[in-house]
Amino acid sequence: MPEPDQSTLARRKDIIAAMRDIVPNEGGVIVDEDRLRPYECDGLMAYRQLPMIVVLPENTGQVAAILKYCHTHKIRVVPRGAGTGLSGGALPMADAITISMMKFNRVLDIDWDNRAVVVQPGVTNLGITRAVEHKGFYYAPDPSSQIACSIGGNIAENSGGVHSLKYGLTTNNVLGVEMVTIEGEILRIGGKGLDQSGYDLLGVITGSEGLLGIVTEVTVRILRKPETARALLLGFNSSEEGGNCVARIIADGIIPGGLEMMDAPAIKATEGFVHAGYPLDVEALLLVELDGPKVEVDYLIERVGAIARECGAVYSRISESEDERLLFWSGRKNAFPAIGRISPDYICMDGTIPRRRLAEVLTGMQVLSQRHGLRVANVFHAGDGNLHPLIMFDANQPGELERAEAFGADILKLCVEVGGVLSGEHGIGVEKRDLMPEMFTEDDMKHQERLKLAFDEDELLNPGKVFPTLHGCGELKTLHAREVASKFPDIPRF
Amino acid sequence: MTEVISPATPEQLREAISWALGSKTPLEIIGSGSKISYGHAVAASHVLDLSKLTGVLFYEPEELVMSVRAGTSLAEIHGILRDKNQQFHFEPGNFPGLLADGVADHAGTIGGLIACNISGPRRIKVGAARDHLLGFEAISGRAEDFKSGGRVMKNVTGFDLSKLMAGSFGTLSVMHTITMKVMPCDEKTRTVLIACDDMQIAGSAMTRALGSENEVSAAAWIAREQVVKLGLDIVTGIGTGIVALRVEGPAPSVAWRCEALRKLLADIGASEELHSANSNAFWQAVADVVPFAGGIGLLWRVSGPPASGGAIAAKLADETGGKIMMDWAGAQIWLQLAGGDAMADKVRDIAVSYDARAVLVRAPEDIRNQVPVFHAEDAALARINARIRENFDPEGILNPGRIGHMIAKRGNA
Ligand SMILES: Cc1cc2nc3c(=O)[nH]c(=O)nc-3n(C[C@H](O)[C@H](O)[C@H](O)COP(=O)(O)OP(=O)(O)OC[C@H]3O[C@@H](n4cnc5c(N)ncnc54)[C@H](O)[C@@H]3O)c2cc1C
Ligand SMILES: Cc1cc2nc3c(=O)[nH]c(=O)nc-3n(C[C@H](O)[C@H](O)[C@H](O)COP(=O)(O)OP(=O)(O)OC[C@H]3O[C@@H](n4cnc5c(N)ncnc54)[C@H](O)[C@@H]3O)c2cc1C
Repeated sequence: MPEPDQSTLARRKDIIAAMRDIVPNEGGVIVDEDRLRPYECDGLMAYRQLPMIVVLPENTGQVAAILKYCHTHKIRVVPRGAGTGLSGGALPMADAITISMMKFNRVLDIDWDNRAVVVQPGVTNLGITRAVEHKGFYYAPDPSSQIACSIGGNIAENSGGVHSLKYGLTTNNVLGVEMVTIEGEILRIGGKGLDQSGYDLLGVITGSEGLLGIVTEVTVRILRKPETARALLLGFNSSEEGGNCVARIIADGIIPGGLEMMDAPAIKATEGFVHAGYPLDVEALLLVELDGPKVEVDYLIERVGAIARECGAVYSRISESEDERLLFWSGRKNAFPAIGRISPDYICMDGTIPRRRLAEVLTGMQVLSQRHGLRVANVFHAGDGNLHPLIMFDANQPGELERAEAFGADILKLCVEVGGVLSGEHGIGVEKRDLMPEMFTEDDMKHQERLKLAFDEDELLNPGKVFPTLHGCGELKTLHAREVASKFPDIPRF
Repeated sequence: MTEVISPATPEQLREAISWALGSKTPLEIIGSGSKISYGHAVAASHVLDLSKLTGVLFYEPEELVMSVRAGTSLAEIHGILRDKNQQFHFEPGNFPGLLADGVADHAGTIGGLIACNISGPRRIKVGAARDHLLGFEAISGRAEDFKSGGRVMKNVTGFDLSKLMAGSFGTLSVMHTITMKVMPCDEKTRTVLIACDDMQIAGSAMTRALGSENEVSAAAWIAREQVVKLGLDIVTGIGTGIVALRVEGPAPSVAWRCEALRKLLADIGASEELHSANSNAFWQAVADVVPFAGGIGLLWRVSGPPASGGAIAAKLADETGGKIMMDWAGAQIWLQLAGGDAMADKVRDIAVSYDARAVLVRAPEDIRNQVPVFHAEDAALARINARIRENFDPEGILNPGRIGHMIAKRGNA
């Protein structure tokens, strides 16, 4: 991270006074060490840093005033939502104000006719669905942290989930935002219509990891809940056959609501944990969910079943009730804690590859597994090629953490080598920052930086994230299973 | 006289831009010229013609991905996709009939399409052109080769510059390579047609249909006098204006949903169905804005909240005397004016009062030089846009003036 600025630290008292002027609300400015502690990290708990102070504004005017002050006085700012990010995007800095947006927690407008909902950024992802489900609507992107993560954080990370294959990521479901720039200017971009004027700023703000501005209001589109959903479990003797089946389903024009895959180590670990009835004698298990009107779902279940047989499925089961469908999913949803049971620690990686390179990448991972002397299990969003390899290790054994990190970096490099990318859904943050040159040239990075500079010339917003540092620590620190489980106990893991 | 530079490789493209940068020579960037009259006239002594920068780099139908050089023609791309029963899901329109009378059918290059971010009727379900651009490679106004995105569907690696390029009208960089997401054609397509002459009733019918669980993939309203121009006998036979609602997917599902829609909207008017090829022909005509093709009359595109579509359309028709077609369930309104007056203030005032935006899509050059073609942003947004432009193209050599008022110089919104 950039060196703390001593002159800022020396002005801490003045800054606190200024913040108290702007946010006089009870508990709006946090300065005591013990009360700063909960903000020292996000979901990537290997990195910790106490913020200089934390401010919790309650309205856009306050956000604008804070940022204007910070811009004038050249003070760094770290935006923060619910702190569930897995790449350290909300990691504080010793000389920066962390701005928590969690008091922005109201649903402002539900516009049924335009199928649009306007919310404040601190509303949780699931909170949006909760607000509209009584009329049969929902908000489609569903990160598995959805009960906790904020829609503001989702925009910053362009979050996705199991539904993304069919219904898109955050970027495909956001219609507009209100955002405050570091200069304290309030921008309104997009709205309830489908166009905006000028360059597509909404598109670049989504996924910008808090580096371009602070989002203070969000308009998202909502969809009608499908009438029916049913799931198939399909087992294969090789991941190659499983991968082929995924390709065949999609090439046939069928876009399932969810299309997930697990390899043998993951199947064994989860079956031992949740007893979902998974077959233990297959090398790859596909979980295919189809949703829509009942006639459509029944018809597609037949079609997918037939494709699976042609692709050599040795196991096939179709959910016959809602309970059974949820049982099928329970294994997948508990895959992470299941791995946590068989290994003291694990690292969850997140890369995307072209689907047809799947078998090759899985084989490559086995080779790497032997080379690094650590086990790996795979659960992933097979439909869009987004992998989540789980590297198992024991942090109490000297050198194992470092080996696990090196293994993780090798996996991501392998993803890039076969035409994939460093992150499918968790973002770059501080975690993968120094791997960016694996994918991007110097000129590529410069053009990203030019966008950044158009918004934030002095680089005051969330510095040290996304862009590789010349003398960065370079190593890859990632979350530890035990700690995450204790921090977000209610969140199913994907 | 304008001089034409026609690079055939990315290296030659970089050389050309490098030369232009060094000599501060403004360039007008042209794919096939099919949308050259969309936007403001460019003040440039040299044309950078991309029509030789062609070729498919890879097409993997099972992966739903295609990578091409930016000057590749849409006619060629559509042909290649059709052979594999695939398509661009955002079904871009074919604007030559609309903009440049006499230009060959399905002219246009993929680069031009992305630069203008043109999306057809399925926009309401699957997003815009920009949502299907997975990655690109380009030479910026700094004569530097850069890329963003990739070829995979799920990617949050760095800023999503693809979004910035889509709809930038060639003012930030010249794309030489474009990687797109493609989709299989649906097994079945049908369109429910409901007789309806009233724009407001049509608007609320589309709102009801979109709010139902029937997954409508296109929704348009066409007035009685424009229906005949579509040249489809079944449609003409109805004899009134029509609300058209498309459903696509597996056969049994499409039949079931059509039935449900006809029941849901039985109170609006009598209904008919268009099947397969008829349905496809109908929506191609809507995408191409066929009722207003032929280069006659000024044409506005007003885009706003879909549920306000009927009201906006009625007011525009009332106050300008123009002709209307609604697409995107009311979120996109085409307004054709009869006379030579763009009535810009009136059109823009009406749009703004409904939180909508108006773009002058077709007008003679002299009018386009007087009337801002694009909708102006507020001052703060305009400043950010201007800075982005300055950072990517500091000397302003790429399509200077093309988006004119849209990207005003700092402060002048
Ligand atoms: C158990 C678990 C499961 C997860 N599963 C998924 C998953 O399935 N898919 C997925 O995509 N992610 C997943 N995540 C990651 C994480 O939940 C998402 O990235 C989420 O979007 C972060 O939201 P947040 O509110 O917690 O943001 P934070 O962690 O607080 O912040 C994330 C980033 O957003 C910025 N930010 C936050 N609010 C704003 C704002 N208002 N304006 C500007 N910038 C802002 C921050 O600066 C930071 O860069 C998971 C995390 C956990 C712990
Ligand atoms: C009793 C009756 C009532 C009818 N009512 C109507 C009506 O209300 N509305 C209406 O539009 N038609 C109507 N038709 C005509 C009928 O729908 C057409 O023959 C139509 O082409 C059949 O479409 P399908 O979807 O049922 O069959 P499909 O199997 O989808 O198509 C039939 C043929 O058209 C070809 N085809 C499909 N799509 C395309 C395409 N995009 N381009 C080129 N060829 C294509 C197929 O290859 C096949 O050869 C009616 C016919 C009958 C017998």
